[in-house]
Amino acid sequence: MSEIRANDVRLHVQRIGPRGPAIPTVVMLHGMVMDNMSSFYLSLGTYLSDIGCDVICYDLRGHGRSERTPEGYALADSLADLNGLLDALGVDHPVHIIGNSYGATMAIAYGCEFGERTASLTLIEPPFLLEGLGEEMARSLTQILAAMSDDEVELWLHQAAGRVIGRATRSARRLLQETTIATDMLSMTPFSVEALGRLSMPVLAIYGENSDIIGQAETLTSVVPDTTLVVLEHHTHMVLREATGYLRELLRWWLLGDRTTPRPVYVPSATKRFETPQWITDMVPPPNLNTPRTVTTAESSHR
Amino acid sequence: MTGATAATGRKVAQMDRSAVETRVLGEIIEDVRDVIGEEYAFDMEITMETSFGDDLELESIEFVALADRLRERYGDAVDFVGFLATRDVDQVINMRVGEVVEFVVDSQPVPATTGSA
Repeated sequence: MSEIRANDVRLHVQRIGPRGPAIPTVVMLHGMVMDNMSSFYLSLGTYLSDIGCDVICYDLRGHGRSERTPEGYALADSLADLNGLLDALGVDHPVHIIGNSYGATMAIAYGCEFGERTASLTLIEPPFLLEGLGEEMARSLTQILAAMSDDEVELWLHQAAGRVIGRATRSARRLLQETTIATDMLSMTPFSVEALGRLSMPVLAIYGENSDIIGQAETLTSVVPDTTLVVLEHHTHMVLREATGYLRELLRWWLLGDRTTPRPVYVPSATKRFETPQWITDMVPPPNLNTPRTVTTAESSHR
Repeated sequence: MTGATAATGRKVAQMDRSAVETRVLGEIIEDVRDVIGEEYAFDMEITMETSFGDDLELESIEFVALADRLRERYGDAVDFVGFLATRDVDQVINMRVGEVVEFVVDSQPVPATTGSA
């Protein structure tokens, strides 16, 4: 296994593809808790490296096969981990960052703080709030811990994963229950509008039309200067998984093509439509902790 | 080459291939068990027909670790990344062990078969 010690954490890293002065280096940042680098490695990672990118995928601290430290899950820690990783790999040129969900939030923060190391940002479904971002990120985590029994936590994790996966679920549970990740998320400070306005690199933002956070796309484009917004019809927050084929073409155009040419056209499938399940939209802490959560709502999400 | 020697050549090639397949299958089984690291993987019989997802319950992050080991084991001769680049996440996880074995065998330089008899 490829392990690198960066910022005093053991990180699981996979670097694939060619390297050289004319070759774009792409770093991929995955989502929170029920995610790891494999979602990127198997969707965009192997593809982009195969067509000529130097691709770096890694498991964020506490995720996948990286070390689960008891603390250090604030956004600033994530950025320091990434800087440490790039230093350890000897990457001293600006990199193209692709982030999914929390990874996209992290990418924005990295662009604001370390613009000189950032060639471009691709943001897949970034949670983007100018106020209350930390609360939003922590909401789903803290409510799981505070409002649900262990069995319910297990159930939620199974549903979030979309299928029953024992080892990944156990690992996610430990991350939630044995580390400070939820409280660290709460402490996330909102983005500064001024800092966002100064972002000088090109930004590609991708949302699913049926995503529960599609409303945040408009705020993003109104604040971040050089943004290309792509909204995919019939897709949800899980667009990376749902529309992998199109995202491969889009990223090929973005990273290796001529951006003055029209971007690849997205043709939605006539038969496959993705909707955000009601239980995600409804997922607010119950007013009374003794109120049983109805399994029927959750069960219907599988359809 | 007469028809008879061509047939013998094919037969030898098949035998060689099957020997190489058996060896590669053994190597991949070893890596799969190592990556999962749990007892059930050592207890169950793994064949060419075993599926990574349904049978081995391999998680996608474990597949990444497996790919890493195979890249280390077989080196540049086996373009494992290129092999994965043509598939999406579900297609990777739903593969049979045999598909990976066949890909590795096909990628490796084949010893001269017809002249070896």
